[in-house]
Amino acid sequence: MGTDRPPGRARRARPRRRAAAACAAAALLPLAACDALTPGSAAEAPGPRSVPSRTAVPDEDITLRLQFADAPLMVDALIAAFEEEHPRITIEPQYKTFSDYVKNLKLTMTSDSAPDIAQFAVGMTDLAEDGHVLDLAPYREAYGWDASIPPVSLDQLTAGRASESTGGRALFGVPAGLSMTGIYYNKELAARAGIEQPPRTLAEFEDQLAAAEEAGLTPLGVGALDSGGLHLWAALLNHTMSTDDYWDWVNGTEGATIETPQAMAASERVIEWGRLGYYNDSANGTGQVDSTAQFTRGDSVFLINGNWAAGQLATAMGDNVGFFPMPGGHPADPVVASGFSVSYAVSSRTEHPEAAGAFLDFLTTPEAGRIISDNGFLPTNAEAAEPPRGVLADVAEGHRLAVADDGITTFPDFAAPAMLDALRSGVQKLIAGRVEPADYLDALQDVWDEQHAE
Amino acid sequence: MSSTPSRPAADRRTASRPARRRGRWRGYLYVLPALAVYLAFAVLPALHTAYLSLFEWDGVTLGRWVGLDNYREVFGDAVLRRSVLNALTLVVFFSFLPILLGLVTAGLLARYRRPGMAAYRFLFMLPQVVPLVAVGVTWRWLYGDDGLVNQALRTVGLDGVTRAWLGDFDAALIAVGLVGTWVLSGLCMMLFLSGVQKVDPSLYEAARLDGAGPVREFVSVTLPHLRGELAVAMTVTMVAALASFDIVYVTTNGGPGEQTTVPGLLVYRLAFSDGKVGLASALAVVLACLILVLVFVVNRLSRSEE
Repeated sequence: MGTDRPPGRARRARPRRRAAAACAAAALLPLAACDALTPGSAAEAPGPRSVPSRTAVPDEDITLRLQFADAPLMVDALIAAFEEEHPRITIEPQYKTFSDYVKNLKLTMTSDSAPDIAQFAVGMTDLAEDGHVLDLAPYREAYGWDASIPPVSLDQLTAGRASESTGGRALFGVPAGLSMTGIYYNKELAARAGIEQPPRTLAEFEDQLAAAEEAGLTPLGVGALDSGGLHLWAALLNHTMSTDDYWDWVNGTEGATIETPQAMAASERVIEWGRLGYYNDSANGTGQVDSTAQFTRGDSVFLINGNWAAGQLATAMGDNVGFFPMPGGHPADPVVASGFSVSYAVSSRTEHPEAAGAFLDFLTTPEAGRIISDNGFLPTNAEAAEPPRGVLADVAEGHRLAVADDGITTFPDFAAPAMLDALRSGVQKLIAGRVEPADYLDALQDVWDEQHAE
Repeated sequence: MSSTPSRPAADRRTASRPARRRGRWRGYLYVLPALAVYLAFAVLPALHTAYLSLFEWDGVTLGRWVGLDNYREVFGDAVLRRSVLNALTLVVFFSFLPILLGLVTAGLLARYRRPGMAAYRFLFMLPQVVPLVAVGVTWRWLYGDDGLVNQALRTVGLDGVTRAWLGDFDAALIAVGLVGTWVLSGLCMMLFLSGVQKVDPSLYEAARLDGAGPVREFVSVTLPHLRGELAVAMTVTMVAALASFDIVYVTTNGGPGEQTTVPGLLVYRLAFSDGKVGLASALAVVLACLILVLVFVVNRLSRSEE
């Protein structure tokens, strides 16, 4: 990448000349400010692009800063357990709310004061591209992460790139807890609608939705004000589009497109369910958190959400709630579900990549798995944790099946930073029947084209 | 800002010129602190934004000069144009309705002095004191499925009308607009009340002696005296409508679809989520120009009628 720099400089020459003109015209700006005003010119040259091959932590007092946005209790517990094993390493957690974290991610990771370890989020792949995040591929081999972490969870963190240091696939983060979306159901209401067991096929699920509708109940709760709608669309897409094509699209592989008959079919189904009155009336005005709260009050028979809601639902509803991944066309079809992970990346500005690596490896241990499981996430190493109960067991089982079938796909908004808004407003239109599926997919592809233009 | 007027005239003829010049410069000295702050925190950032709008820049890596391309996109992109249209619709709810309501309440409250006026004023002013984010969150609850609005409608038997107002494609923009009406009506009323108090009471007396009823009195006496306040109210509320962000962000985040997407929201989204700082800046510049033009027109109209 070092060879990319000079052309970058050359390109800057023209704007700079005009910049000088603009400054002169303004006449108010001190001349020295000109350089600082050229957008991006103040960005620091990043450090090395990859972790070193050695893993041994130097025997000295080390302090690492960890910035994150999910599950503060889990992070505190993980740090405490890690520090007990490595008394000379101190980890300072820095918690930010998720929206703050994502909005500031680029500025944080490119600043001098970048944290040593940071939670992986949309936008991290762009940072990796520019060398602000270390490629962990050498540690992947040294620590044997391929054996301790489901391959799909690692694949989600490669940004679709090859590693420059090992020649294998790159790796820009290590997962702690895994996540997955699916359908929750209220057992009592389901029984009232004559539904006896989780559906084995999508057709069966549609029959159950219709039965619930017939019984005068709201069939499916969707929190489409934020991301509940896109989870529904992606869950249906998982069974129409091949996972390889889907991955190509999310990873920005050249020539990939979402404007396919398979995606059309999934989008049409979202419209169809809306037309049949399967969603809560206020789906477009309800956030995911609110839709979950309404579900605990018995407002709908089914609910689309992720494993992150399982803890809350288990507490509120006890044994009255169950979970299943969105079923496919045939009972024998592989289990496919959208999911990601709470993962951590390492800044290329860190002075202690070995210590950071030791922490990441700690996340794959049975001890960490127990902490992760206790906090409602799915540990990477499923056997390590105590078997959960109730709806948490349903979620864990669904995840196990999906991993076994190589069927965990990532969330569609990872395709581009602007994709989340396009998906959110697009699915709202699908739910209300206000857009043709073709136009919806066309809008998504426009965002994709813009991101992956080069 | 001259220090000379108090001097005797004879003295001025001999020594005034250098002194006056010095005085003039001293005048600027007084302005300097405010000017410096204004330049550093208002003018410079504005110029910087205009400058950034000429680049394609993701906020981190080196920007690329694209000239006026961003502006072409602002005028060519359907979603961006749609957002400007939404903002103009909001003007009806943020500006026209509050001014109308403000005039009516001011007319009702101004005619007779009643005890407890301070309490009225306090109540109507209250929405101004509450942070807009809190206003948005509260209205989101009111508009919710089981919110107060729907409960009230059900109580009077209008079950068929109830809906999730903020999630409904046809109702969302109106629902958001009415939140603005609620916030800004009190402000307009306060402005008009203070204007009414300037009116010479003998004018009202004269009007009444001539047999004017309350309506006639309002139209012929009160309204003409409120021209200045009307211009201020118009300016403030129009800016609030066109630059609206917080209420929309908290209640609908632009949805459903793009029904309530406003330019302020897009500027924020483009710059911080989508990594298009240049396009966001261009949209901000266009928005600022639109506001300036409208405010200019409002001010010209209110002055030319005088």
